[in-house]
Amino acid sequence: MTKILFSDKLDNCVERWKSAGLTVIGPVQRANISTYAAVEHAAELDLGLILTDRSIKDLFFPQSEPMLRYTIKKESIDTDECLPPSGPRIIFGARPCDSSGMAIDDPLFGWDYKDEYWFQRRNESVIVTIACTKADDFCMCTSLKMAPDSSKGSDVLLRPLAGGKGWVVEEVTDRGREAFKTITDILQESSDTAAPLAVVEKKFDLDSCVTWLQNPENFESRFWKEISMRCIGCASCTFLCPTCHCFDIQDEGDTYTGIRRKNWDSCSFALFTMHTSGHNPRSTQSARWRQRIMHKFNYFPGKFSVNSCSGCGRCSRQCPVDMGITETLQEISKLSQ
Amino acid sequence: MSIEEQYRTRAKELLSGGAVKMVIGYGKGSTSDRRRPLFISSTDEVDRLVLDDACIQNLSGYLVSEGLLSDEKRVAVFLRPEGIRAINILAAESQLDAEQIVIFGFDVIGTEVKALKGIHVEEFSDVINSIKKGAPEAKEEELFEKIEKMSPQERFSFWQEEFAKCIKCYACRQACPMCYCRRCIVDSNQPQWVNTSSHTLGNFEWNIVRAFHLSGRCVECGNCDRACPVNIPLRLINHRMAEEVLGAFDHFAGMSKTQEPVLASFKKDDSETFIL
Repeated sequence: MTKILFSDKLDNCVERWKSAGLTVIGPVQRANISTYAAVEHAAELDLGLILTDRSIKDLFFPQSEPMLRYTIKKESIDTDECLPPSGPRIIFGARPCDSSGMAIDDPLFGWDYKDEYWFQRRNESVIVTIACTKADDFCMCTSLKMAPDSSKGSDVLLRPLAGGKGWVVEEVTDRGREAFKTITDILQESSDTAAPLAVVEKKFDLDSCVTWLQNPENFESRFWKEISMRCIGCASCTFLCPTCHCFDIQDEGDTYTGIRRKNWDSCSFALFTMHTSGHNPRSTQSARWRQRIMHKFNYFPGKFSVNSCSGCGRCSRQCPVDMGITETLQEISKLSQ
Repeated sequence: MSIEEQYRTRAKELLSGGAVKMVIGYGKGSTSDRRRPLFISSTDEVDRLVLDDACIQNLSGYLVSEGLLSDEKRVAVFLRPEGIRAINILAAESQLDAEQIVIFGFDVIGTEVKALKGIHVEEFSDVINSIKKGAPEAKEEELFEKIEKMSPQERFSFWQEEFAKCIKCYACRQACPMCYCRRCIVDSNQPQWVNTSSHTLGNFEWNIVRAFHLSGRCVECGNCDRACPVNIPLRLINHRMAEEVLGAFDHFAGMSKTQEPVLASFKKDDSETFIL
């Protein structure tokens, strides 16, 4: 016997969570794009999507975040720190690649400096992930040694029942157990079993790619130029990526008063590494694409023992010129054979 | 022989004789319905070229990649009529020498691929002329008509909602053949003319600056619209501005390589007393 949450009871859960003071967030379609947003009713959720266009990152690391307001006076500078809006929330219906992406970024945001914007949101969020029964051509979690039912980064993992009637509930963390205590009486014991998981074909051999990347001889390989020749240098891949985490700090205002903001930045941009002298150590798009791949599969794991990629495939799915991590690692796989 | 085969043969001839150093065309993509830009510089690779109705991307922007044309060698490129117009504009704006560009012209009518006769940009003026003639009567899409009928307040709300989605990834700019500036105004930070933040103001600033900058220059190839990862219907803004420019100045962007840029030229007998 397993614990089941039936779909037709989901709205009761939403009500229950809301009364318990939680903001309920989930995948929705808004203005011709799928994203995560707060909802009032279960009917607003779009749980049939393979994956939202926008990643769950937006909820923890927004594209533009105020850090402080400042006023420069003759003798002093007044500052007024801005912290993210506080309050517990439950994110219902994330996909395993998105949820695990947040766990991948935890060590980064807590490394030499504990990023309070990130951790306040992390600590106040319960992530309820739904395992995937569908995948598309771009999904690649299995190539990253993850699976359509990875529970990494999730507080609760739900496995869909055959026929879409509901989900088998697996509580993963204490935070998840706590949030589901409020709906204990809504859950039902049943012998229903979960539907088969999505079949996600393995697209490359990660270990051999990593070995190739770690070989210093390959840093100057012609490969980088060839693979990235069509890259137009936009930040679509990095901004949609659940694990890309680079930001820039900007002051907006006039000479005396303004607001300091933390804005997404991207290694795809030429400006990213531009020195004030005009010299740019990553002066070509191929050097920038190499950096992105090296960072995710060589430098980041070197520091945090985990790859900075959860296999969602958004980079390839949305690329205007049909590039992406998948193709690059597939080609590296071939080179390393 | 299909057009694809004809063009492969022509590419092989041009490359083997050294008439061009590179052919920029389309190759198979990661899924059956995707095509991707392909750069061919050896005859052995010519058979990778694909030409069918899925070849949509305007490839002209690659021609102004830093250093590509600086050795004065010729480059061949697969272009639809919009792409050919883009070559005219790039030449008129001194970004390339049209003599260096060998055109593999094609158009797609429904699902049928049609070859366009000619090699150099001047030879396509009839094609461009006929598009200009058809432009005022061309059927506009439903969403465009809907926006046209809105009150200014409703229209503002519509775009506010659309621009709210903008993440400033600059895919629109990077995909655009007309956005060739080595340093875009938004990347200029001494002073910071445009906010880098993708908040309401920053997003409006960026999208409106871009719309004005492309007025009279946009060929409506749709690269920006397709590149936008958050599905902002950018084509509609550009189309509206192109209509304005056509109506006000009888200017259709990319008619010839000597056409004067509409917003960067003036006439002594202009009815306006002030130049914006």
